[in-house]
Amino acid sequence: MAPTGSQSTINVKLLLIGNSSVGKSSLLLRFSDEQWINEDESSATIGVDFRVHKMDVNGKKVKLSIWDTAGQERFRTITSSYYRGAQGIILVYDVSSRESFDALPRWYSELETYVSESVVKILVGNKLDKEFSRQVPTAEAAAFAERMSSLFIEASAKTAINVKETFQGVVEKILDTPELWDNGAGQSKVSSFRV
Amino acid sequence: MSTELPYAADAEVSLSYDELEVLRIQYEREQLQAHITVQTKFNYSWGLVKSPLREHQVEGVRLLQDLYRTEPTRRRECLYYLALGHYKMGNFEEAKQFNNLLMEKEPTNLQAQSLAQLIEKGVAKEGYIGMALVGGAAALGTLVLAGFLRRATRASK
Repeated sequence: MAPTGSQSTINVKLLLIGNSSVGKSSLLLRFSDEQWINEDESSATIGVDFRVHKMDVNGKKVKLSIWDTAGQERFRTITSSYYRGAQGIILVYDVSSRESFDALPRWYSELETYVSESVVKILVGNKLDKEFSRQVPTAEAAAFAERMSSLFIEASAKTAINVKETFQGVVEKILDTPELWDNGAGQSKVSSFRV
Repeated sequence: MSTELPYAADAEVSLSYDELEVLRIQYEREQLQAHITVQTKFNYSWGLVKSPLREHQVEGVRLLQDLYRTEPTRRRECLYYLALGHYKMGNFEEAKQFNNLLMEKEPTNLQAQSLAQLIEKGVAKEGYIGMALVGGAAALGTLVLAGFLRRATRASK
């Protein structure tokens, strides 16, 4: 068990995955910089982006390394190389896009390939501000998340609702999962990716 | 809560030997079949550009330049990784040119913005080293001149 003592900083690696345009980068930007870029001004992530963010969780200092992956199919090989060593996975879909929700089983099967079962997963329904055009009912998504042994939350990067709670929730669960702290063992299944 | 400046993740982290091998083997298999797909070529060039070895970076940049010419739909990522490849090789002028082309099309692209910062830092660092070298040369020149003058004064006596 590594996360002991309140003096030393605990390093945690998180990965954001999900279809393109669901708002992965926007969630990260809102969380880390408290900023928001309009959809028509923002650009699709190329390959992968990275942020370091420090926060206090339950009196412990945590240094988060957050890997924000491109959702576009063409970057799938590239992004899969970043699964290694991740302790938490943030799976994002768009509550106003049925397609992005229906793609989740495929993202979960990627996880099965690349990370161990003990890795903490949180399913995030983003764009809660688009309630008027919602295509995915909360109850359905919550039930799906439970089946996939994932935490679940609905959030909005635009209005900032539940963004901090998303990251806070996943980090708390990681700190409470001893298997993730056994010398880094059991964190990843494979060292190489597939093409 | 605090956030450190973003950086170009792909500039720092390279693939393991095995991972690059996966991409290389795929590329060479398709090369033998005389049909290299865009995806395979892109994946391999990305892996090469990320490598710490200069010869890999050079080859990666060459492949990306090919792709940039032949695949208009892949231009934005080619520009980004071309800039990154040149940055890693220390070709800051070229890096800036490619990154600027991307920023012209996407002024709010945060990845291009942070790569621009990295390139600027690289240029500045090179400048310091240059100044140190010039400074060192000047100091050496002074010593030589002093020695020369000393000899000259001694000779004239």
